[in-house]
Amino acid sequence: MKHKVVLIDDEPLARQLIRNLLKSNEHFEVVHECADGFEGFKAIQEHQPHLLFLDVQMPRLNGFEMLELLDTTPSVIFCTAFDEYAMKAFETHAIDYLLKPVTKERFEKALEKYLSQAGSDTKLDAEALASENVYEGYQNRIVVKDNGVIRIIAASEILYIEANDDYIKIFTKDGQFLKKSTLTRIEKSFDGGAFIRVHRSYIIPVAQLVRIEPYEKGSHIALLHSGAKVPVSKSGMDKLKSTLGW
Amino acid sequence: MLLSNKNIAWLLPLSAIAVAGGHFIFLYYLYNISFTLSLTDSIISVLYMSLALWGVVQSIKIYPTRVGVTLYSLFVAVFLGLSTVFLSTVTIKWWIDVNDAYYLQFLDSSGPVRYIIYWLLFSWIATFFALNKSITSQEQKFKKQADFTALHKEAELFKLRQQLQPHFLYNSLNSINALTMIEPAKAQEMVGMLSDFLRNSVQREAKEKIPVQDELDYLGNYLAIESIRFGDRLNVMFNKEENIAGTIPPFLLQPLLENAIKFGLYGNTGKVTISINIQAQSGMLLFKISNPFDSEANRSPRGTGFGLAGVQRRLFLIYARTDLLETNKEGNTFTTILKIPQDEA
Repeated sequence: MKHKVVLIDDEPLARQLIRNLLKSNEHFEVVHECADGFEGFKAIQEHQPHLLFLDVQMPRLNGFEMLELLDTTPSVIFCTAFDEYAMKAFETHAIDYLLKPVTKERFEKALEKYLSQAGSDTKLDAEALASENVYEGYQNRIVVKDNGVIRIIAASEILYIEANDDYIKIFTKDGQFLKKSTLTRIEKSFDGGAFIRVHRSYIIPVAQLVRIEPYEKGSHIALLHSGAKVPVSKSGMDKLKSTLGW
Repeated sequence: MLLSNKNIAWLLPLSAIAVAGGHFIFLYYLYNISFTLSLTDSIISVLYMSLALWGVVQSIKIYPTRVGVTLYSLFVAVFLGLSTVFLSTVTIKWWIDVNDAYYLQFLDSSGPVRYIIYWLLFSWIATFFALNKSITSQEQKFKKQADFTALHKEAELFKLRQQLQPHFLYNSLNSINALTMIEPAKAQEMVGMLSDFLRNSVQREAKEKIPVQDELDYLGNYLAIESIRFGDRLNVMFNKEENIAGTIPPFLLQPLLENAIKFGLYGNTGKVTISINIQAQSGMLLFKISNPFDSEANRSPRGTGFGLAGVQRRLFLIYARTDLLETNKEGNTFTTILKIPQDEA
């Protein structure tokens, strides 16, 4: 059986290079190549490949964001000119991390590594994939799957976010979206001056806040522009106070 | 400032009352002056003294230069000291119909002593504030100096990074790597372009300003390399008058172009056209760079991380102006406009 491979890189020559390097190896077959995360997401679902060669910086949806959206991930060999992502890549249990320019020797080694691990559990660590300290700066957006379609929600569209067991529910003007993630993670990917965790189960954008009303026993309720009411815990109130300078 | 500190604001009226109290006790018990007269004298004196103190602080605050501020504060103390003694004496005499000869004589003869006390107090306060003021402005000067040094360093760093451009280099080498297998002739061509580009980067580093045509040739080279990397996805349109003259500091246009390419290519799938317009206009060279961008993705792609802010800072360091770079978004087009003033010579 040949191992099915999908190449995802926005530079045609970079894909061509991997294709050429794979040509001499009878164990592999490139079933598809694509230029961005959206296409990649579709191709993976369609072809169910065993192995991915994946660039990080790509149009629309980057490599990590794409992986996050997959329910079952194939083995991944990252392939990028940026060495900054290596830590994160290995935390996600990627097979290997190739730095461009890719050399033949290094490439062969990565393939050997893959073959030696193939069959054993080489699944990516979803937990680590969703871990913090991923990118420099704030993401200021959330990528979700909505009926199989990828949707990018900008920070400015978010009304508020609610925790729901293992999921978070993101409320926007266009409705609510579910994503497998935690509030702690979301909290870290947004600017703390603009988004505040007002409660164990709620994050609100400061811009959405209309007023805060006392509730019971030291807790409060925040009234938002959308008309929604969100509970504010004692420590949430402290955070609001220090952020807004009351 | 010291007096505006909220925590000690309540001290001021309190100390005024204390001073008035001391003044009263002094007159009433030591000089056996009547209760009403002692009280009137102390209250009026303290009121004038407070007013004068306020005057001292204000006149130091508005004094424009730091030179001679100590002499100035002594002068202020002399003037306000004399005024306070004079005014309080006149007011006391006018306020109550005094026929107590002993008190009147006391009032007149105590004038010099009062003056000396006021003068000491006022000059102490005045010099204190003057020193405080000069220290603050000194600190500000130091801070400005430090800020400037930091900016300068950053610009240097930026220049260096622009020169090295590691990711650009790695990605280009990777493309060459691929081309050696499929199209060796094109690989040679790209090696040539890349070396030209690097050689140029090193040479330009030392120059403060270079002819605009040189910069455009350099950019042409850069864009040719990028076009090979991204294949037919990247399309660049140059619009310029023929024989455009003028000079431009190096490493200003390239980051803008890099930005446009990144925003254009990473924000969109499919083909991307970037247009560059160059015009000479009333002593300025006008560069207009437009690229499509995805307003929904709402995120700038990562890279060297300097981009527009770095160019803005460099422009400020070179021309001390902040109006030379503007950007605007119109629909799905992002436009950057760079103005470079030309020397009249």
